[in-house]
Amino acid sequence: MNPPDLDRILSRVDDLPTLPRTVLRITELVNDPKSSARDLARVITDDQVLAARLLKLVNSSFYGFPQRISTITGAIVLLGFDAIRNLLLTTSVFDLFSNRRKTSLIRQEQFWDHSLGCAVGAKVIGNYLRYGKVEELFVSGLLHDIGKIVEMIFLPQAFKEINDLVKDQNILMIAAEEKILGYSHPQIGNLLAERWNLPPKLISVISHHHQPSEAGRFVLEAAIVHLADILCRSIDIGYGGDNKMPALDKTAWDNLRIKPRAIESMLAEISKEFEDISLFITYSP
Amino acid sequence: MIRLKIDELKPGMILARSVHNQQDLQLLEKDSSLTKKRIWMLKTWGIDQVSIKGIPKNDGTTDFEAELETKENIETQLRAKFADVTDDPVMEEIMKAASRQLQKNLSDPEKENEST
Repeated sequence: MNPPDLDRILSRVDDLPTLPRTVLRITELVNDPKSSARDLARVITDDQVLAARLLKLVNSSFYGFPQRISTITGAIVLLGFDAIRNLLLTTSVFDLFSNRRKTSLIRQEQFWDHSLGCAVGAKVIGNYLRYGKVEELFVSGLLHDIGKIVEMIFLPQAFKEINDLVKDQNILMIAAEEKILGYSHPQIGNLLAERWNLPPKLISVISHHHQPSEAGRFVLEAAIVHLADILCRSIDIGYGGDNKMPALDKTAWDNLRIKPRAIESMLAEISKEFEDISLFITYSP
Repeated sequence: MIRLKIDELKPGMILARSVHNQQDLQLLEKDSSLTKKRIWMLKTWGIDQVSIKGIPKNDGTTDFEAELETKENIETQLRAKFADVTDDPVMEEIMKAASRQLQKNLSDPEKENEST
């Protein structure tokens, strides 16, 4: 059974932020084996803002294509369906962040930076491990703390109490959430992710980024985002809601088989890539 | 404390007062340290001047060293942040690597600033 507050959120689930219609339509198309690049291009070009963003993104240094990509179809052919879906998901979530003005701007900016930092971190770790679909990791990192946004919007009073408790007792945000709400942001994130019909892998990472060893068949992905979170916090990229380090999940770490001496070069890479991408995808309320 | 023009700001400086935009929305809190990105953000918001912590010297210049983020600062903050997890050797390793990275970050943006 869910705690009362979680039930309250569930009952208002229709008010939860929704993804733009275009993104939902694109998700459907991507999952439909019969759809073609042209079908997808048609949906994207119907939305001028989305189309412009997509071209800006594929032409950014993040992807590093040597020549300029000027058509949506070109972008789809080069990146593939899944990558496009993830890109658009990314930019839509970005909108979600920027439309809320309930906390101070700097707080929102730092929170966004934390998510973006984790996204970059997950990608860097994925590259090190030669993980095939790093852009999925990127989106997972970006969305891992989505439950905190829901708290901020739907439980503003509790959210304030949580932040006060974090400040007073210098504890992890997740510990403060447990004390005040009786549940925490991974559970809320799970609720939203299910509602959005996100892919199972993504739902699993959002729900288990604090206990990746419980993520079943997606233990690797959850472990990567778990480590990315820790690495970003260690070098002060953004603000995850507190000034403490979460404990490293031992099983998850052993699973990753990362040599401890590789950490330093990962941190350097995260730092540099974050700088590059954050100037490009800048938080602009 | 001293008022500085936006072009005189350098990463590492600490705000003496919070910064607000014309609509009185808070952009940066008091005591936030400046980064390249934050200075850029202030510029895009059309901020001309901000208050910076610092100690004015006799020759008319201001000594910011006392308030800049220093190596010792980084170490102390990291130790506090990692206090509950240092019994894990991997976390200890992450903390050491983070300390080196943060110090690199501290020196890099300043170099860039000097050349401009």
